[in-house]
Amino acid sequence: MFLHNFKYELKMVLRQREFIMWLMLFPIALGTLFKVAFGSIYSNNDMFKSIPVAVVNAQEGTVLNEIFRSLGEGEDAALAITYADEEWAKELLFDGKVSGIIVVDNDVSLQVAGKGIKQSILEEIVSRCNMYQEVIGQAMITGDETELRKVIAELGKEVNACRDVSPAADNPDVYVQYFYNLIAMVAICGSLTGLHVATSSQANQSELGARKNCSPTPKFKHLSAAFLGSCVAQGVSMILCVTFLKFVLQINFGGNLFLLYAAAVLSGCLGVALGFFGGSIGRLKYEIKSAILLSCSMVMCFLSGLMVGNIKGFLAERMPWVNRINPVAIISDSFYCLNMYSDYRRFFTKVLGMVIYITAFIVFGALFSRRKKYASL
Amino acid sequence: MKPTVVKIDNLVKRYGELVALDHFSLEIKEGEIFGLLGPNGSGKTTTINCLLSLLSYDKGDIEVFGKEMTPVSYDTKSQIGVIMQNVAVIDELTVRENIDYFCGLYVLDKAKRKECVDEAIKFVGLEEFENFRPKKLSGGLLRRLNIACGIAHKPKLIILDEPTVAVDPQSRNRILEGIQELNRNGATVIYTSHYMEEVEQICTRIAIMDKGRKVAEGTKDELKSMIRNTESITIEILELPEDVRAKIASQPHVYETEYDGNKLTVRCSGGRHNLIRILGVLQEAELGFGRVYSELPTLNDVFLEITGKALRDSKE
Repeated sequence: MFLHNFKYELKMVLRQREFIMWLMLFPIALGTLFKVAFGSIYSNNDMFKSIPVAVVNAQEGTVLNEIFRSLGEGEDAALAITYADEEWAKELLFDGKVSGIIVVDNDVSLQVAGKGIKQSILEEIVSRCNMYQEVIGQAMITGDETELRKVIAELGKEVNACRDVSPAADNPDVYVQYFYNLIAMVAICGSLTGLHVATSSQANQSELGARKNCSPTPKFKHLSAAFLGSCVAQGVSMILCVTFLKFVLQINFGGNLFLLYAAAVLSGCLGVALGFFGGSIGRLKYEIKSAILLSCSMVMCFLSGLMVGNIKGFLAERMPWVNRINPVAIISDSFYCLNMYSDYRRFFTKVLGMVIYITAFIVFGALFSRRKKYASL
Repeated sequence: MKPTVVKIDNLVKRYGELVALDHFSLEIKEGEIFGLLGPNGSGKTTTINCLLSLLSYDKGDIEVFGKEMTPVSYDTKSQIGVIMQNVAVIDELTVRENIDYFCGLYVLDKAKRKECVDEAIKFVGLEEFENFRPKKLSGGLLRRLNIACGIAHKPKLIILDEPTVAVDPQSRNRILEGIQELNRNGATVIYTSHYMEEVEQICTRIAIMDKGRKVAEGTKDELKSMIRNTESITIEILELPEDVRAKIASQPHVYETEYDGNKLTVRCSGGRHNLIRILGVLQEAELGFGRVYSELPTLNDVFLEITGKALRDSKE
């Protein structure tokens, strides 16, 4: 009996138009769109290329000369420096061979011939150099050696804070966050299948539910078979989604594929459980419930940063509890933690969060739908 | 004496202030095709839902096959087939899969189930459509699929709640023949409808409900004998002076006359040769007339006389 119900539930879900649309085609389309959009950002991203600049040393042997020399050294040098006199430097700038002219004298000055990311970065470098020079200079004027050390230490701290280091040495790429959110969206859209499970088992919500309730199959049996069938179907869609992103779009999700797939399947179950819970409460029509669930899912996705990447950081600063209770944020954070941290403590904390949600949704959903007789149909 | 299959005793069901079933009682014997007739909102579907233990009720007892009916009466439920008022099938499954799915809720054995499904498909004549999805089926075929899903497991009691709504005459005829065949094969049938001719055609016993109460019960003939009307005479006549109409109304056994400018309807209660007497009055007054009909009372007359002619709301 269980297998019979399970088999048909699986067939039903996999043939549902909404399921194919929202959980199979939509993520592929959106993932491809993200890849195209962010792919062009990567190829045009100047932050990772050295900025060509002409440096005119009006004074030699100063700390500032040393700073610029170090900025132009190494494989990942921030600047590609051409040392020149003022005239040649202007020629280079005029010909577009450099993005700016840095003149190192008592202080540092910058000349640029346009506006853009490169020019902004140069401006930032120059203003920082001047600021450091002034701060250190002020400290030296006071003659207090302790104060001077303190200032140097503070400046050093600021520099360290700007470094972005991945302990797991995986992918610290900010754009991959969009793909985590995409997977989380697919997972949470599984609520549509969960909703179907709930409404099709309630006599007061569908004719199908009434027919099932007239049969000699106990409600628990067809509900559990339907729920499991939906979870398996949702799991399949999650695996397809992750596989497409990882192997077709070549998104770097880090090394641990097994845990990535496991987290994806678990998050799919969370979506189904959410839908089951939503479908079990109230007597609204299926279409209205599905519209509400889809809207709630989209709001959760928005708060998790699917549409606007910075929103999650904004919430983390001002209302951190939102990220802690938002199921979509928990799901996307689990992928982030898996990718970014070498120990799995944070990842398993997120997984635990998902398990708690799943359990709560199933328990409350079952409580609401356990009714065997209805006051009205 | 045949055993009782369904016994409803003193059933009361309220929706807030509204009394949907008011001390309703019923007894259905094995082998009957029992018709439950009533206008919209009379409580037919509520009765069925209470009988199936889907709805809670305020008072009363329901027994099916001699046992109290509860939501967990799984043994009893396994012997009941239900065909709901609205089509309840799964759009994503084919005709065969739908029947197999619902049959599987009753019949565990796979081989036996296949046999049942094959028979049900043949019974409703959907052999050519067994791989079609429900959305590809016409209204009549969909109704037939709905019936197949309810009867595939060969139930002993079949409950059909208005199964022919929005069905073309051919499909309707096929459905009615099918119900009679199921009955001949041993099933007891409860049939709710407000199509009088259907009920008259197939039901062996009928109960008429109104405002949650049973207002009449019996065979067709018993019900017809309950009403005053035994003969309705209709005469096409273009001119009817008041004195002639009064003379017709004063004839023996005539209890009601109606004239709409074209047609005179005379209702008689008992007696013989009513038609000859009325035509005699018209000839005596030298009035010309067209076609003349004389009809025996139908279930429709019974229904209208018992439940009244006032319009009902469609809420049930």
